[in-house]
Amino acid sequence: MGLAGAVPSVETTEVTKVYRVGHVDYPALGGVSVKIERGELVSIVGPSGSGKSTLLNIIGTLDRPTAGRVRIDGIDLRKLSDDQLAKVRNRKIGFVYQSFNLISRLTAIENVEMPLITRTMPRKIRRIKAIKLLSAVGLVQKARKRPTELSGGEQQRVAIARALVTEPALVIADEPTGNLDSKTTREVLNYITEVNKRIGTTFVIVTHNPEVSGATHRVIVLKDGMVEKDQRFQRIDAFAS
Amino acid sequence: MFVSDVFRLAIKALLDRKMRSALTIVGIMIGAAVIVALIASSNGLSAGISASMGKIGANTLVVNSASSSFSSGSRTQYQLSQNDVRILTAITGVAEVIPYYDTRATVTVGGTAIEGEIEGIDLSKLSDLYKGIGLSDGAYPTQTDTTAAAIGSDLAAPTGSSVQIEVNQMVSVTLSGGGSLAFIVKGILSPYGRVLFSNIDDTIFISMQAGQLFLKTSYYSGFYVITTTADEVSSVQAAIESQYGSNVRVMNAGSIVSSIQSVSSQMTVFLGAIGGISLFVAAVGITNTMFVSVMERTREIGVLKALGYQSGQILSIFLSEAVVTGAIGGLLGTILGYFLSFLIGGMMPMGGGGGGPMSSGASTTEPVFTADLILFALLFPIAISVLAGLYPARRASRMKAVVALKYE
Repeated sequence: MGLAGAVPSVETTEVTKVYRVGHVDYPALGGVSVKIERGELVSIVGPSGSGKSTLLNIIGTLDRPTAGRVRIDGIDLRKLSDDQLAKVRNRKIGFVYQSFNLISRLTAIENVEMPLITRTMPRKIRRIKAIKLLSAVGLVQKARKRPTELSGGEQQRVAIARALVTEPALVIADEPTGNLDSKTTREVLNYITEVNKRIGTTFVIVTHNPEVSGATHRVIVLKDGMVEKDQRFQRIDAFAS
Repeated sequence: MFVSDVFRLAIKALLDRKMRSALTIVGIMIGAAVIVALIASSNGLSAGISASMGKIGANTLVVNSASSSFSSGSRTQYQLSQNDVRILTAITGVAEVIPYYDTRATVTVGGTAIEGEIEGIDLSKLSDLYKGIGLSDGAYPTQTDTTAAAIGSDLAAPTGSSVQIEVNQMVSVTLSGGGSLAFIVKGILSPYGRVLFSNIDDTIFISMQAGQLFLKTSYYSGFYVITTTADEVSSVQAAIESQYGSNVRVMNAGSIVSSIQSVSSQMTVFLGAIGGISLFVAAVGITNTMFVSVMERTREIGVLKALGYQSGQILSIFLSEAVVTGAIGGLLGTILGYFLSFLIGGMMPMGGGGGGPMSSGASTTEPVFTADLILFALLFPIAISVLAGLYPARRASRMKAVVALKYE
């Protein structure tokens, strides 16, 4: 499976996470080992409290596991400092959230530029990239609008543009359609599928929505912090070659 | 990250909460304005004093009887007479002893009352004593003339009055000890300014004989002792003091300058401290504002972390908000302080309480702005703001991304 000799996009080995509140330990992940190849479109499903978001945060380098190893594009995260993790995040990972998490005082284009600013990228170049991404999500006319002037679907498209503007290898999406109606859900889903197919960006999507998981090529079911089921619906070799 | 981007983000954040930013800036502005205004006025005061001291020679000493000439206490005061002129002249290093009579007086010029001074002195010595003094009109009264006077320029043409005194006109004078006199103006002095504690422009100069007559005393108010060289001033002063003990007070221009300057530098420190306190209060305001801002933007900080901003970058974004606040506050405060200092200077009379405040335009102090002061007023608020912003900014930069993103 996967491309011969290719480094997996995400690889977790026996990852555990225990939250300690006061003197009580709450295990959130109980040893999760998953390997996600480059170009996969994966959904993670499971009841609430199953550890989906915890796993997503750990893969997204926003949180460190209590034990176990995580590799992103072959990079072992254990050895990295917080600043180095921030760099990995900026270079390799894009985030899409249920609540969009756009910065309300900035315009759509400024929001899309944000991840490029930290790279010390000249303003003109970032503008061009941001415009390119905004037109790809069909919002170039609304580039100067602030998030509050946009509909939920439009805001999520801006957030997707922001996630993709760095040309990340991996996009992590936490309930990306949770706040959208079914029509915009379908639009967003179509766009994600298209980017995955055309550019080969790896997507890991946490979702409750069967329509979303149904559109992915692999569904990982978590329960009580463990992988209960891991199903592939379509061989990724089919489009990777 | 480019510095320009850091500041662009900071300014956008400040503009997003205009009212709060403006109020914080006002706090800083007041602090900086107070510092600039007070220190510039105090600098101006000491510069003015130094300039007025410079007019009397460094080789001049003023000798007065130890208690003030207008005190009416029972304490007998040492009386200065012609005998003392001989004693003083005999001291080695003394070139000349010029006795004088003086008293404060209210001079009425065409209905306008001006607080001034009458000085009876050998008028031929006037130019030895006050460098560059001269008449704009008329002549000095002669030694024996007891009805004539030479008057200062402000008395001849009082500010805020259309009256213009000409030579041979009369001026009337009310003495501070009671009684009134009238003189015929024989000469009008060119504008000269302040010397030591008196304003030449508000002074009526009369002959020794007239002074003795009108002040109803045979004792002198004091002596000007001129030494042969400036180096001998301190030895002559010591000789006079050992001769007379506490019966007389000896002042030399240099020591007056240094004592006034030490008072004025103490005042500068004190006033600076007031400004410093208001800046400190403003700094607490900045810390408070930034804490609220960090709290409100917790989620945004989480987003920045998710987008790959490093702690140091988040720190610098928040700190630069403090820098911008401090810089704008400092700049506006310096400008406000500049104008304010002229207002304070206008209320700060120079010298020993001659006229009341604002009694004449010429006696007010011009503020002095040094490059040091301006630089300090511009940079100190920035430094204070950075210090004030450091803790909240650090708190922002150290937030855990996962926690921050969940913050509602």
